[in-house]
Formats: sequence, structure tokens, C-alpha cells
Amino acid sequence: MQKNGPVAILFHTLVVAFVLAPLVVICLVAFTPENTLTIPTTQFSLRWFRAILDYPDFVTAFGNSLWLATIAATLSAVIAVPAALAIDRYHFAGRDALNALFLSPLIIPHLVLGVAFLRLFALIGVTGSFGWLVLSHVIVITPYVLRLVIAALSGLDRSAEQAAMTLGASRWTVFRRITLPMILPGVTGGWLLAFINSFDELTMSIFVTSPATVTLPVRMYMYATESIDPMMAAVSALMIALTAIAMLVLDRMFGLDKILVGEK
Amino acid sequence: MAFLTLEQVNKFYGELAAVRDVDLSVARGEFVSLLGPSGCGKTTTLQMIAGLVEPTSGRIMLDGRDITHEKPNRRGLGIVFQSYALFPHMTVAQNVAFGLEMRKVPRAERDRRIGEMLALVHLSAFAERYPRQLSGGQRQRVAIARALVIEPPVLLLDEPLSNLDAKLREEMQFELRRIQRSVGTTTIMVTHDQAEALSISDRVVVMEAGRMTQIDAPYRLYEKPATAFIASFVGRMNRLEGVWRRNGSASAIEVAGTVLASEAADIPAGSVVTATIRPEKLRLHKAGEGRLDGHVTSRFFLGGHWLFNIETPVGVIVVSMPNDGEEPAREGEHVGIGWTPASLRIEASGGEATT
Repeated sequence: MQKNGPVAILFHTLVVAFVLAPLVVICLVAFTPENTLTIPTTQFSLRWFRAILDYPDFVTAFGNSLWLATIAATLSAVIAVPAALAIDRYHFAGRDALNALFLSPLIIPHLVLGVAFLRLFALIGVTGSFGWLVLSHVIVITPYVLRLVIAALSGLDRSAEQAAMTLGASRWTVFRRITLPMILPGVTGGWLLAFINSFDELTMSIFVTSPATVTLPVRMYMYATESIDPMMAAVSALMIALTAIAMLVLDRMFGLDKILVGEK
Repeated sequence: MAFLTLEQVNKFYGELAAVRDVDLSVARGEFVSLLGPSGCGKTTTLQMIAGLVEPTSGRIMLDGRDITHEKPNRRGLGIVFQSYALFPHMTVAQNVAFGLEMRKVPRAERDRRIGEMLALVHLSAFAERYPRQLSGGQRQRVAIARALVIEPPVLLLDEPLSNLDAKLREEMQFELRRIQRSVGTTTIMVTHDQAEALSISDRVVVMEAGRMTQIDAPYRLYEKPATAFIASFVGRMNRLEGVWRRNGSASAIEVAGTVLASEAADIPAGSVVTATIRPEKLRLHKAGEGRLDGHVTSRFFLGGHWLFNIETPVGVIVVSMPNDGEEPAREGEHVGIGWTPASLRIEASGGEATT
């Protein structure tokens, strides 16, 4: 393997610094004792973390987001796996159209989707329903799972499935015992991406959430439009910490390489 | 007698014929190779037997049962794929167990049969390894074990050795034959490697452009190839185009003004014929002492034998000589080439082969 030269190392360092700097700054600001968004210089304080607990709305919103992202990402995976199988394996009429339809939410601005869903939900009288909120998220995040599963399927050695079939396995058994385990890195990777996108989604959610189903990004946005104080930084720091812990746990349990890249 | 038969089997992809009018019958316990260049239909034929490809027409019978349209998971045949197609997320033992699980074989018997099979392919110590932790030859043996453990009536091998390096391939050829002999399973192997087909098969089927052109024992295939294609595809062959001459009782072929002695053949004098002879049937002599003179343009030492390219008035002739421990003719040297007339095969260009 080639080693990086000094210029390349400097470049990579700058890129990493550019990506991480805002995260580091926001985490530092979270510990400020001041009332403004400043980096603490003399002393650290946990007052803004305590402040979160005084706003139960944030805790509820966090719970909402967690549920929403988990259910939506799981539903997406359930839809995307059979869809990817159909698109990858069969040449049927409307195959390209179906593929384009599944991927179209990537192209349509979330703002447009938000307005459209708002109108639709009002029309059919389901405004504020958690179920329909989940559905709107499923539509937005399914393309991510679909793409990753299709990529996993196209790299799959079909002869392993044929071998299983000749050994006496039914089509369902082949799928359950051979195909699914072999594309699992793609499915889990897609699920994670979908989860993050759902958890992070703001633009569309502003339109389709109700007071009872407000998600964390929407809650943060609403709070930030009224007042800017370091509590936002504290919430952000908590989310960064939670994400980092989740990644660490996943890596310890399964190995992130294994989930996202697949084994060799 | 016939255990597996293919009757008038055809496979068309649209207008394109992949396999045409294939008739083959294989006896129980026989090892048959389907040999041919890529695109000759040999793999398609194997896949039709396996049930992975459905024939356009024709009938496939196994032990008196029509299996033409039976699903692959009901045929119970063992298949070893070119890529081995091992299940990467399962250990060696789990791979081998898969077929038995599908057959709902009880746990104890399953474990016993897996143990026996892994012992047969010398992989007992590797039962708990994953395929990625094995070498190419070991993976190949896992694939064989997985296919054989279900005790299939027929074992199908699709280019089983083509992913192995030369030394290993030779070892595995004999290994494959040993395993096949010890379990006695009827085996059909697809290969493009003529040496492989000749060394381990009971019979070899040569396929050209979707048709089976010769079905014969390896020795007979080599000595009496039915077509010019087979002659050149199976082993090396010197080919000379010439005119058939008869002078009283003596027969000869005249190539570019040079007359080469041959055995009599029932061909009218003056007709255009092709003469063929294997390189190892030729002998090198001192210049002037053979039937044909020439000079060595290049020679190759292959360990067990030498290979010479000799420029003669009738064209370049390839001669193979066993290595008897002495260094033979050098490059540029003038030599004579000799042969027994009986080993020169004459074939009228009409196609009728005689000796």
C-alpha cells in the first residue's frame, strides 16, 4: 500500500477538521455558564443540560422521533427488500417506471412534499395522526434502503441460491436462509441511513406534525425561532453523544465494517 | 441399463439455438464429461439436467422417471458450481448440513453423515471454519461434500477445477475421481479442458455449436476423432492438405510437391484429402534418414517431453519426443522426421474418415 505524502496528510487533516469543527464547537458551547452562545473559557457548567429537563416537550419530542424513525425505517426495509428483488431479478413491464417511482422522493424537494401531504391529510381528515406521519416518512426514506439493497443484490452470486435450490430448498427457504443473510449488510446499512434521515427530517415534518406528534428537529426549530440560548447546543451535544454511543455499541456487537461494507 | 437419458433435447433462446438435438444416455455409476469450447452448449445442457434451465423441447429421464419439467429442488441432484457457490455466512459443517436439513434428516444422523463426508474429502479439521478462511482447493472439496452428502442419484460438476492453479488442478482431478469411485455416484462433468476430460472420465462427449458430435471413451476419442474440430481440440494435431495418389499397390499423399507414404485407403486417386498425425507419433532422425526433412525452428522443454516446431517443405510440423535423458536436436539443426504409415490418418475432404 502507498503511503500518503505530507501534502496529502495536510489535506486530509483539513477535511476532517472542517467536518468535525462545528460538532466540536457545539459540544463546547453546550457547557457554557453564560446566557449566550459562547465557548466557555473560564469554567464549565451543566446548567443548560439541566434546563432541558425543565422542558418536557423536548423529551417527548425525542421519544416521538425515536419511535417514528424506528418504525418508518423498518417499514421501508420491509417494502424495499421485495421491491429491490423484483427490480433486480425480473424484467417486467413498468419495471423502470417502478424504479423511478421509488426513487422519485429523492428528487422532489421536501418542502413540496410537505405542502402536498398537508393538503392530502387535511382532505382525508387525518391531520395530526402519527400513523400517517410515519407513512410520509416511509415515502421519503425508502429510496435509501432500496438503493443499498439493489446494490447488495447486484453483487450477489446467484449460484449460491441455485445451489440451495438444488439441495432441496423451497423459494421461501432460499430467501430466508441464503439470500437475506447474504444481502444483510445492504439491508442494515439502508435501514441505518433511513433511520438517520427520518430522525433528521425537518422541512417536510414541519408541515405534517401536530402538537401531539412533534419530532425533535421540529421542536428544536420551533424553540430556536423564539429564543436562541445555549440549550440548543446542549440538545445537539446530547444527540451527538447518543449517536456516538449507538455506533460504538453496533460496532462492538456486529462490527460496523460487517454491517455497512460486508465481509470478504 | 441407461440411468439418465436425454432424448432429443433442444434449448432455444429466441432464434438462437443453444443446444440442438441432444441424445445422451448415461449408465449408473458412469463418469461422463461434456467437453467443448465456451458457448458450445455444455453448461446449458448441464443446467437442463439440474433443472435450472427448462428445455424448449425433448425429454430428460432419470431412473425411468420423466424429470423434464420437475423443479430443481425436487430432483435431488448434487451440483458443484464453477464458483463453488458456498454459503458465505455458514461454516463448512453448516454448508454440508444444508441439504440434510432440507430433507429433515434427524440431528444425530445428520452429524454422522457430515462427519463421514468431511472425512471423505479430508476436511474434518475444518468443519467450523467459514468458506473465506479456506483455500481454493478446500472450498472446492466443501462444494463436493455438500453436493454428495444428500446421496444424489447424479452428481453434476460445472467446470469444477477451472478456478484452481495448475498443480492443484492436477491433484484435484485424481481426488475427484477417487471420491467418485468410492461413492459410485453417476457423474456428469462440464469442462473446456481436454486434459481434464480425458484423464478422469469413462466417456467424453464433445460438443460443438450446441450439438454432440462425438461420444466415446477418452482413448478412442483421442485416437479416432470424428471431426477435424475434435482432432484439433483434443490434444495437438498436425494437419496437411494434399492430393491422394495411387501407384499400383502403393498409396501416398502429395503435399506441395512432396510425396508422403501412407497406408491404402478407399479413396479415388486424385481427390483432395487431409492427412493428420499426432506430434507424439512422429520421430526425429538424422537429416535424410526420415520420410521428410526440415530444420528445427524452435524447441520447448516440458519436463517429461520435448516439443519441436520443424520447418519442412510441407509446412511447420510439430513433433513431441519423450525426454530420455539426452539432449535432442537443437534449434536450427537439420533433422529427418519419421513415422509409421499406419499412424497417418487420411480423410477425404468430403468428410468420410478412414484410416
